[in-house]
Amino acid sequence: MTSSNQHDEKKPFPWHLVFFLGPGLLIYVVFSVYPLLDTLVLSLYQEQDGHSSFVGLQNFITLITDDTWSHAFWNALANNFEFFAIHMLLQNPIGLILAVLLSSPKLRLSSTYRTLIFMPTMLSVVIIGFVWQLLLSPIWGIAENFLYDIGLGQYFDAWLGKESSALITLGFISVWQFVGIPMMLIYATLLNIPDDIIDASVVDGANSFQTFWHIKLPLILPTIAMVSILTFVANFNAFELIYAVKGALAGPNFSTDLMGTFFYRTFFGFQLQQGSASMGAAVATLMFLIILVGVMLFLFFIQRRIQRFQF
Amino acid sequence: MASVKLNNIKKRFGNVDVLHGIDLDIKDGEFVVLIGESGCGKSTLLRLLSGLEDISEGDLYIDDERVNGRSPAKRGIAMVFQSYALYPHMNVFKNMAFGLKISGKDKSHVNEKVIEAAKKLKIDHLLDRLPRELSGGQRQRVAIGRAIVRDPKVFLFDEPLSNLDASLRVQTRVELGKLHQELKATIIYVTHDQVEAMTLGDKIVVMNKGRVEQVGAPLDLYHHPKTQFVAAFIGSPKMNFLQGKVQQADSENSQVVLESGRVIRASIDTSSLNEGDTVQLGLRPEHIALNCSENTFEGTVTLIEHLGELSYLYVDVGQEGELVLKVNGDNQHQAGDRIQFGIKPNYLYLFDHEGKALTRINAHQSPSIPL
Amino acid sequence: MKLIHRLMPSNGLRQLPKSVSVHAVLLAYTIIALFPILVVVINSFKDRRAIFRDPLGLPTHDSFTLVGFQQVLLRSDFGLYSWNSLVVTILAVGLVLLLGAMAAWALTEYKFKGNLLITFLFAMGIMIPIRLGTVSILSLMVDLHLVNTLTALVLVYIAQGLPLAVYILSEFVRTIPKELTEAARCDSVSEYKIFFCIILPLLKPAMATVAVFTMIPIWNDLWFPLILAPGESTRTITLGVQQFVGQYVTDWNSVLSALTMAIVPVLILYTIFSRQLIRGLTSGAVK
Repeated sequence: MTSSNQHDEKKPFPWHLVFFLGPGLLIYVVFSVYPLLDTLVLSLYQEQDGHSSFVGLQNFITLITDDTWSHAFWNALANNFEFFAIHMLLQNPIGLILAVLLSSPKLRLSSTYRTLIFMPTMLSVVIIGFVWQLLLSPIWGIAENFLYDIGLGQYFDAWLGKESSALITLGFISVWQFVGIPMMLIYATLLNIPDDIIDASVVDGANSFQTFWHIKLPLILPTIAMVSILTFVANFNAFELIYAVKGALAGPNFSTDLMGTFFYRTFFGFQLQQGSASMGAAVATLMFLIILVGVMLFLFFIQRRIQRFQF
Repeated sequence: MASVKLNNIKKRFGNVDVLHGIDLDIKDGEFVVLIGESGCGKSTLLRLLSGLEDISEGDLYIDDERVNGRSPAKRGIAMVFQSYALYPHMNVFKNMAFGLKISGKDKSHVNEKVIEAAKKLKIDHLLDRLPRELSGGQRQRVAIGRAIVRDPKVFLFDEPLSNLDASLRVQTRVELGKLHQELKATIIYVTHDQVEAMTLGDKIVVMNKGRVEQVGAPLDLYHHPKTQFVAAFIGSPKMNFLQGKVQQADSENSQVVLESGRVIRASIDTSSLNEGDTVQLGLRPEHIALNCSENTFEGTVTLIEHLGELSYLYVDVGQEGELVLKVNGDNQHQAGDRIQFGIKPNYLYLFDHEGKALTRINAHQSPSIPL
Repeated sequence: MKLIHRLMPSNGLRQLPKSVSVHAVLLAYTIIALFPILVVVINSFKDRRAIFRDPLGLPTHDSFTLVGFQQVLLRSDFGLYSWNSLVVTILAVGLVLLLGAMAAWALTEYKFKGNLLITFLFAMGIMIPIRLGTVSILSLMVDLHLVNTLTALVLVYIAQGLPLAVYILSEFVRTIPKELTEAARCDSVSEYKIFFCIILPLLKPAMATVAVFTMIPIWNDLWFPLILAPGESTRTITLGVQQFVGQYVTDWNSVLSALTMAIVPVLILYTIFSRQLIRGLTSGAVK
């Protein structure tokens, strides 16, 4: 606290600060900040026979290079980037298109479309995973019959069960569920663009495509950038969908393993491998670093260049 | 530059008629002001002219070509918006160049045009700035510059001064007037401010509820309003209205009796009316004089507003209500004073029960204050 | 034809083809979004034969059955799971709102040493998922004897929800005119009273937005229930459904019914509150 040294009357201790800030900060620090830092520290230790010892970066070296670990780690990381790429290539462009269509002037029923399209986003990932598992199941055959009806029957396959297609299929399911988020955020930004600016570009002779390309798109770029970083963090943190549909083993043959499921298996163990808190902490630390680097890149390269616009 | 002709233009939104058939002839190089209260349809009319809104019925000609279905850019118009509507992510140069760039003009031509316009508007030192780095007045100029570079046949202004503060508004108004003289462009200008209308317009179009109430030169509207609406709209403070009945209908020397029984003589042609018809008598505050002995009133001053060079007196004249007088600024009256005043017969206005004006005879032509 | 008229704005004749295609795309996507959910809900009311014979048909008089729901209620404690989820969500969201508002107020209103550090600490939490600290959270909960209690979940969810709450509410506090609090201080109203009687009521609209953003991830979470409170008595609905479906995966009636029971309440709530929710999303409170 800053105290004025002119007078001897000291300011009373700011109890109200403690009252307002204390409880929230306490819970946040104890159950979020401390565990995160503790995890970072734990990743530098190794437990053996009940007591732990400092091993430096050994856990990370093991993860990245040791044959029993590194294969699974690199596999999960590569899968996770693929999962993220599917979202960037599908979820955000589809969300953008839907947002642009929804914001067409004088569109009837737009709030109904908006509400309905956003609906899946509200449901639990676990539930959505099961729903799609049923729909795509060859036993039930809904997807198969549908493909036959539109003449593409021969392309049907048990996508979720095949090593080559399981991850992409899960990516599609996730995109299907979360497309509402980029749609809604971009839609909100589009609504905030004053009509006058669009009118001005029409008077300036721009057709709808030119208006979109030269005026609307640059104005929603900051939102698209933000959506991208949100997607990045969510993807590198994903767990539920894989766990619900494919279990902790992320089959078939680990082809759907993401960092989240890898972390879970490392921490709790599976089959013959024993769970390890310190190795789990090491995986979590790596995830932390990946997310941190992603966020930093975003802040330094993208956010700095794209300024927000005030109308 | 071009002439603009509107032939029975109508606009409907769903089942609601917003404009009920507007006819208007605008000559090449004319500065036309559309004025009216908010919701009268003036801005809608401007949007119809610009092509931002479809015309429901009627014909619009620019330079004798029917342009109803044409897109804004192909009509040869440019528009300045009330909010300026500058593209927030483009600097001043790009804002001004956007329209030319879209139309595929080559770079050197665009450069030349933008710099020429920027110099004219004295914003050539701001070309690299973003709109948010500009003051209100500077944004205003950029918006005008954006219109100028395209060499439009017709400029459309939608309340361009209403977002500026008072002193800047006066300054910009003067500059706009000069710019018009320099460009010799056809300008259609929407405002709700009668001072802007009077000072800028070659021709004023007064609109009311989707109809044109009257078209005329500023002083024409002041001296010969066709309706009570126009009479009330033009002039500040507003014209005083007193209800009365025709006592003597005449082609020149009419007499009207007010509710109090006071008889007023007016140089107005009332030969079309019958004795006993209800009429509204109009008295402009600047035409009522303290030392006038014709058509005299007596009343108590209730409030004085000092504006410096002149003052407004609010006077309670009993049964007829309250009248506003415009008097000299050094007038010494105080609230509570009993005063006497009058108005000459040829200063009066008279409107029939439908609000239509009756012809004034020997109407006083100078609006100067007869103190 | 009448429908087309309803869909067309007035004077839209010139843009008719464009408007039709916009509706076509949006309608198509709406169907894509709803179809899977509808199929599951509809089939949960049909008997096993009808589920397989005619998966897209509505339940008929013959095929209608509630046997799946009976099985679910018989074999698992759905009522308890829902109750657990409700308790955890309400407590966590309520406390996030209260503590978040208090912290946001303290951080924006008062200047003190460490203000910037604490603001930064909270800001980090928006981007860094709390999940990454799970290893330590679990051992912490073991030490506190909170494993398999709802308290553990509530505490973690408060920590999870606070950063975004503090951020959104701080932005909102900044828009409250200074004069309000200054006037109150001139009348020597206490800092506590200023917050609870003046600021808190003004924060209501922003708190609605925060409530939605906080509530959905908590209700839908699987990770922490799975790790911190997997016991039968503390299972939340998401975990309960996950365990149930895993266990009875071949009993189609039960699986479909369990999913329907998890979906329908959320959809009903969503339909009721979608207006507020979407307003919250689009209000610009989150930028």
